[in-house]
Amino acid sequence: MTTNPTSEPAPAVTLDTSGLLCPLPVYKAALALKGIEPGQILELICTDPGSLADIPAMAHQRGDRLVRTEDRDTTQVFWIEKGTTT
Amino acid sequence: MTAQIQVSPVGISDRALRRFEDIRDLLPDVDNPTPLVRVRNSVSAPNVYLKLEWLNPFGSIKDRAAAYLLRGLSETDGLAGREIVEASSGNTAIALAAMGALSGTKVTITIPDGVPQETKTLLRMLGAQVWETPDELCPVDHPKDGAIALARSLAASGDGSLYVMTDQYENPNNVRAHYETTGPEIWKQTGGAVKAFYAGFGTCGTITGVGRYLKEQNPDIRVVAIEPEKGHRLPGLKSFAEANEPGNLDRNVLDDVIMVTDDSAYDMTMQLHSRDGLLVGPSTGAIVHAINANAGSSEGVVVGVSPDGSAKYTTYFQDRLGTQGQPTL
Repeated sequence: MTTNPTSEPAPAVTLDTSGLLCPLPVYKAALALKGIEPGQILELICTDPGSLADIPAMAHQRGDRLVRTEDRDTTQVFWIEKGTTT
Repeated sequence: MTAQIQVSPVGISDRALRRFEDIRDLLPDVDNPTPLVRVRNSVSAPNVYLKLEWLNPFGSIKDRAAAYLLRGLSETDGLAGREIVEASSGNTAIALAAMGALSGTKVTITIPDGVPQETKTLLRMLGAQVWETPDELCPVDHPKDGAIALARSLAASGDGSLYVMTDQYENPNNVRAHYETTGPEIWKQTGGAVKAFYAGFGTCGTITGVGRYLKEQNPDIRVVAIEPEKGHRLPGLKSFAEANEPGNLDRNVLDDVIMVTDDSAYDMTMQLHSRDGLLVGPSTGAIVHAINANAGSSEGVVVGVSPDGSAKYTTYFQDRLGTQGQPTL
């Protein structure tokens, strides 16, 4: 499943958290977002089923924008655009 | 002229001479106990003693637990080339990091929000990785203790091949450390006269291990736990209104649980500094406040734990001191 398949700019950073369990993907994603500029995109790859709920909630909570969610078998891929207030 | 210290070649530590071949040889036991010192001015009861655990080699009561946690790993070959991960607000972390540095084992610490900068810097000085962790790390269905959850997730990730968690909250070696060392020390140092023992809720290794040992010697000894309020700022202590009860807590050894506010704890801590010359940390103030409020003069010898000293918390105390003792022009 792919949501919002728009023509966003390519991700500035890709972070693969395959095999990591919650809350580690959230923690590492927050660290990665800290390292990019507002408007840039983090591509986040997760295998923990909890990420399906946690990552969108994290993005909303931080003021970032979830621009794409992709479900590839057992892997979820999120594109998160860093907000201006985070 | 500088005197040259004559150190024998590699030898055996000599406690009588206070000469040690390895700093870990300073770790306490019944023949090398931490001091038991009477509180002379800050409490009304006459026989209140503090066990000064900040005089341990790495600065806190957690030196005991960390040594036993590492020994447990060593006995079972549990390390297996992995890094150690632990959730700690500081003291266990410092002891693990120091002993990890000695043995060449990498240590990662997940540390809750709000831990003073001094502690985080000390850990990095010891070569540890320090992951600051908000309590509510997971936005959905989050556990109560973000640092513990993160440490567990590190230990579980990669099929458990990367990290091993010493797990001071659930590992019975924590309780064993106090059952085999702290408890027997107190019993021996008081000549069996101890009538009450006070310690804080945290990992609960101390209250369970010491309480169990003392109750076995004399079931009439009162064992009292101190619990802070929700949202407290007392490092090392846990409020079970906001944190999960650890598996290491055995409520069967408890006679009472006393709630203590931050203000009461800090007021007593600063009294212990300024009236007794005891440079203790905030959790000691919480414990002594509870003793002072509850231990009558007829209770006999009362022993409280002083888990650590004040040096790691000077920024906290600065906030409370304001300009006291420092006239400004």
